[in-house]
Amino acid sequence: MANVRDSDTSLWLHNKLGISNDSWTTGSICTQLNAEVLKNIKDCFPDLQTQVKLKLLLSFFHIPRRNVEEWKNELEEIIEVAGVDSDLWVAMLAEVLKTFPSAGTLNTEIAEFDETRPIFSDMINELRKLLAKHSDLGLLPLECLYLNKNALVSVVGQQPNPVKHFTLKRKPKSVALRSELLAKAAEVQANQKKA
Amino acid sequence: IKLISDAGFQGEITSISTAAQQIEVFSRVLKSAIVGFLQSSDDWQNSVNECAKMVCHGAHTYVYSQVIVHILSQEQRGGSIMKRLSQEITKCAQQSGHDVTPITLALTAGESWRGARTALAAMLSRGALNPADISVLFRAYNQPEPPPVHLLRIPQFLELLVDSLYKLGSKLNPEHKSKYTYLLAYSASVCEGVTPGKPIKDELKPTLQAIEKIHAVCCSSVSSSELIAELPSLYHCIRFPVVGMGVLVWVECVVTEPSYFKLCTEHCPVHLALLDEVASCHPLLHHRLLKLLIKLFESKQEDLEILVQLELRKMLLDRMVNLLSRGCVVPVLLYIKNCTNRGDVDLSLIRYFLTEVLDAIAPPFTPEFVQLVLPMVENEEITGTMRAEGENDPVSEFIVHCKAHY
Repeated sequence: MANVRDSDTSLWLHNKLGISNDSWTTGSICTQLNAEVLKNIKDCFPDLQTQVKLKLLLSFFHIPRRNVEEWKNELEEIIEVAGVDSDLWVAMLAEVLKTFPSAGTLNTEIAEFDETRPIFSDMINELRKLLAKHSDLGLLPLECLYLNKNALVSVVGQQPNPVKHFTLKRKPKSVALRSELLAKAAEVQANQKKA
Repeated sequence: IKLISDAGFQGEITSISTAAQQIEVFSRVLKSAIVGFLQSSDDWQNSVNECAKMVCHGAHTYVYSQVIVHILSQEQRGGSIMKRLSQEITKCAQQSGHDVTPITLALTAGESWRGARTALAAMLSRGALNPADISVLFRAYNQPEPPPVHLLRIPQFLELLVDSLYKLGSKLNPEHKSKYTYLLAYSASVCEGVTPGKPIKDELKPTLQAIEKIHAVCCSSVSSSELIAELPSLYHCIRFPVVGMGVLVWVECVVTEPSYFKLCTEHCPVHLALLDEVASCHPLLHHRLLKLLIKLFESKQEDLEILVQLELRKMLLDRMVNLLSRGCVVPVLLYIKNCTNRGDVDLSLIRYFLTEVLDAIAPPFTPEFVQLVLPMVENEEITGTMRAEGENDPVSEFIVHCKAHY
C-alpha cells in the first residue's frame, strides 16, 4: 500500500514540478500539502528527478508560516533526506534550509557536506580577503539614502570624506537663484500678510 | 565544463545554464562576477546587472548566492557593499517578476516579531501597501518594546512608503495617513539603543513634522507662485534625507508631465530649484538626482521651439554644474563625455557646460578630473570659439595648467 502511495506522490510531483526547466516556483503545490503528503514525499524523495527535488525544497518558502510550524517535523525529515543527496545542489539547498522550519531563517553556518570539496568555505574565504582589499567602492545599502545623520552613522559608521577633485572659486548659479527665490518668498509672504 | 572551470578559465563559460548545472562551476563563475563588481568603479551598475543575471538564473542559484552575499555582508570591512549588492540583486529578481520576499525575509533577523513580519511579507509580495497591514506595523512600532527598526528598513518597503506619500495621484485614506508618515519617520530617524527594545527616538518628532509638511504641499497641487511662499519652510524640511527623497519623487512626477515646460514661464522653475537644494544637502541622493536630470535633458520636448529647447537644456546643465560643484563630479563628467562621444547633443550645449565649469573651478585638480575634462576642453570643435589671443582665456589657461602639472 505504501508503495502505491509513494508512486502516486512521485507522479504528482513530477507532473506539478517536472515540466519546466526553470527552478523558479510560485509554490502552487503548497495548497495541496499536509502532514501525510509530506511523509509520502519524504519516502519517495531519493527517487525524484533533481529538478523536482530542487523545486520541492524551494516551494517551502511559499508555505504560510503557521503551516511551516505545524509541519515542522515532516519538513525537517525531508530536508534531512535531501541533505545526503548525491546531487550537490540539492544537498546544499537542504543545508541552507536546515533551520527554516524551526526558526524561519536560513542557515548561514554551512557545514561542509563533502570534505573533499570545500566549495563553500573556500569561496567565502577568498571573497572575504578580496572584500577587505576593495572595500573603497563607497556603495552603501539602499536604506541609507533615507536615514538621518545619526541613524546613518549607527548603521554604517562614519563615512570617509569624498574626494576633492578641484577647488571651487565661484559659487554655482544655483546659489544666486536660491537667494533670489527666498527674497521673492519674503515678498509674497509680506503681501499675504497685508492682504 | 568542469574541466574548463578547474583549469581556471571561468571567463570562457559564457552560458549560465551550463555553468549552473554544477554547483562548483557555478560558485567559481559567481566568484568572478562578485570580484568584477568589487573592482568596478563608476560603472558598478553594469557589473551588478551581470552578477544579478547569473544569480537569478534559477531560484536555487538565487538562494545559494544570496546566502553567500549575506554572510559577506556581515563583514566589518566592506560588508555594506555586499549588502547593497544583495539589495540590487533582489531588485533585479523582482523586476523579472519573481516573488523573492520570503527569501529576503528568511535572511532578515528578528524572527520573533511574527506579526510585523507577516504584515511586511504580505505587502512586499504584492508590491503594494494596504491600510490593514500598515495598521499592524503602526501598532507594533508604538509598543513599549517595538520590533527592531531594521525590519522597516527593507528598501522596497521604504520606496513604497515614499511613493504612497509623494507620488502624484496616489490615493491615501486620510484616516490612515498618519500611520504611513509615522512609519516612514520612524525608519528614517530611530536608532537602536544600547538596551535592546529601547530605541532612541529623539529625532522622530521633527522628522515626522517635516514629512507631513512636505506631504501637505505635494498633495495640494499649489501653483508655482504659491509654492514660492512656502519655500523657506520647504528648504528647512528638505534637510531631512527622507524628505529630500520624497521631494525627488514628487518633483519627478511634476516635471515629467508632458506639458510642464510648455506652461512654464520662469527661466528656472521652482520645482527644479528644489532639486538644487536636495543636491546641496544630500550627497547620497546625487546618483538618483542625476538620473532625473539626464531623463529631462534627453526628453524630446518637441512642442517647444528649437531655441526654447536649447535654453531649457542649458538650464538643466546649470543644475548639473551645481551637482558637480556639490561633489557629484565623476558621474556628471562621464555623462557629458558620453554626450560628446555620441554626437547627438548640440555642441553649443557642451560648450556652455564647459564654460560654466571652467569659470567655477581652480586647481589643484585630481588626475581623474583632468583625464575627464582635458580631452573635451582640447577639442577644437567644442572650444575653438572660446579661445582668445594670448592665452588669457579660461580654456587656454586650463590647458596650459594641465600640460604643466599632469
